[in-house]
Amino acid sequence: MTAAPAASVSKTPTPIRPDWWSKTLAGVILGFLLAIALAGLFSWIGPGGPSAVNKLQLIMWMVAPIWLGVVSACFLFRSGRQAWLWLGCATVLAHTALLAARSPLLH
Amino acid sequence: MAIRTDVVRIYRQVHTWTGILTGLILFVCFYAGALTMFKEPLERWITPPVEVTPATLDRAEELVAATRALRPEVRDFTLAVEPALAGEAPLRLTWTEERFDPAPWAATLAPDGNVAVEQLNPSGIGLLVDFLHRTVGIPGDLDIGTTVTGVASALYVVALVSGVIILLPSLVKDFLILRVTRNIKRLWLDAHNVLGLISLPFHIVIALTAVVFGLHDHIYDTLDRVVYGGQMRQVAAASSPFRTVSKDMGPAVMLPPKEFLARAHTLAPGFHPISLEYHDAGTGAATVRVWGHDPRYLVRREGFVLMGAVDGRIIDTQYMPGHQNGWSATVSAIFALHFGTFGGGIVRWSYFLLGLAGAALFYTGNLLWIESRRRTERQAKGQRSGGPVEQSRSTRLLAAGTVGVCLGCVGALSLTIASGKWLNGLVDDLHAWHWGIYYAAFLGACAWAFLRGAPRAGVELLWACVAATAAIPATSLLGLVLPGPWVSDGLIGVDLVALAGALAFAAMARSAERRARSGPRDSVWSAPQSGAEAGPEPRLHAPPLANPAE
Repeated sequence: MTAAPAASVSKTPTPIRPDWWSKTLAGVILGFLLAIALAGLFSWIGPGGPSAVNKLQLIMWMVAPIWLGVVSACFLFRSGRQAWLWLGCATVLAHTALLAARSPLLH
Repeated sequence: MAIRTDVVRIYRQVHTWTGILTGLILFVCFYAGALTMFKEPLERWITPPVEVTPATLDRAEELVAATRALRPEVRDFTLAVEPALAGEAPLRLTWTEERFDPAPWAATLAPDGNVAVEQLNPSGIGLLVDFLHRTVGIPGDLDIGTTVTGVASALYVVALVSGVIILLPSLVKDFLILRVTRNIKRLWLDAHNVLGLISLPFHIVIALTAVVFGLHDHIYDTLDRVVYGGQMRQVAAASSPFRTVSKDMGPAVMLPPKEFLARAHTLAPGFHPISLEYHDAGTGAATVRVWGHDPRYLVRREGFVLMGAVDGRIIDTQYMPGHQNGWSATVSAIFALHFGTFGGGIVRWSYFLLGLAGAALFYTGNLLWIESRRRTERQAKGQRSGGPVEQSRSTRLLAAGTVGVCLGCVGALSLTIASGKWLNGLVDDLHAWHWGIYYAAFLGACAWAFLRGAPRAGVELLWACVAATAAIPATSLLGLVLPGPWVSDGLIGVDLVALAGALAFAAMARSAERRARSGPRDSVWSAPQSGAEAGPEPRLHAPPLANPAE
């Protein structure tokens, strides 16, 4: 998701805006929600389903690398606005997918 | 590798801020973490040797039965198998009243068959080092300290990524180069980069795992709400090794301890049992966990097989090396990578050295920032390069804080280890004394650093670290001639490592002394000059602090 803005940036000579607060908040908040959703998706549609023995522990372990990967990369966005836009879309998409993955299994 | 300069500039700022915010916390975590690799030898170094003849497990069944009869309310206890067989500790059952109790209760069997129950008073230095590693010494609830280290570790992951990004453009040119020239900042930068690069895989593993250890409660809570619809407790309970154990609390007769070891051996011949942990002993729901090692697998500290204590059936092997499913084995491997509980002595020593190197990485990181501030302030004040700069208040405070926290932690740990051997047997609560000595020395060092300023305190606290660390082998040496302390068999390594540490601190103290005397006058490490001890160069251009708008 970070590849898209980075590619568009390389065409324009304008330097990346720092936008410290908005980028950091986008990375920390949206990155965390995105990581939760992606780990959750793997829990529901990955092998074994959500209740495989001790799979829950690995799901929890997956959150931190995804979350902090997003936080580390979010400063590559051209601006804070871009960060909120792209990460927001990705998060909404991931949570929609999670809801869809859970629905048939919720009795 | 080409990276756009504006990207590098942004990530340099990210690296600086994450580093400055977490450097001191991570220093304590890493230094104490390095010591946790050898907490058992440290504990034994402080504990007086006792004459114990290696026991067999023949009387273990009698011990369990007699203890059960004497203290029927104690249903959860541990029988340490390996220490008893090796003659390191008597055959005994131990139990604690809370999870991290430094003073466990112990039941031993007299020759006449009577059971003696006493509360042990171990040094618990291993527990202290472990808590320091997990909480940086923040007092109060364990959750507060671990949340702080968890957040610091999250910033540390970002610091690692940003550090690699800013290093990439010059990676090929500067790879593993240490330029020992007059440019001290360059030298510190090279040292910081070399340390960071060669231990990068270790740092990534430690950083990511430490985030999880610190913040897993919060992550689980969110997963429960968002992913498992509030049903996570049931999912977790369905994975518990105890999920199929009955709730029958009526009295029942248990198998003898030897039988559990025999069954564990049948299940996994390569498994070395360490201890038997009983749960609900003497009831129909009684279970035994056979804890132990298997060097062929990546295991959390230890693995276990869960058995029924009455019928001896194997209940669960999800934590037994070689008998786990893929999810359990993967998580166990992650734990092992953080704890260094694989590969034996080589990995243990490597983790010890990498931990120390990590502490050095954060120390040099702070020094770099302080050196860079000098240049920034010079530019900000529009001075021609070469003129001395008056250090700002924040730079002085960070320098004093770096010196106080880092050297305070090092010196206080050495002091509390060395004094443990002198206090053992003299005081009732040795573990509390360990903490008292640590906090007193650590806070004293911090106060000293701010009172005296970084240049003088840096040198003085380094010499204090030399004295405190050298006190460890000195105590052992005195044990040869004095009746008080004792020489611990087979623990010469503790004394030798402490001696090497003391020598290293002495070398650092001497070079800090030299720098305070003859380094650049505008350095934050330069000793403050009074008229009498002014150096050869008169301070013609030093602007007074009250007039910063020069």
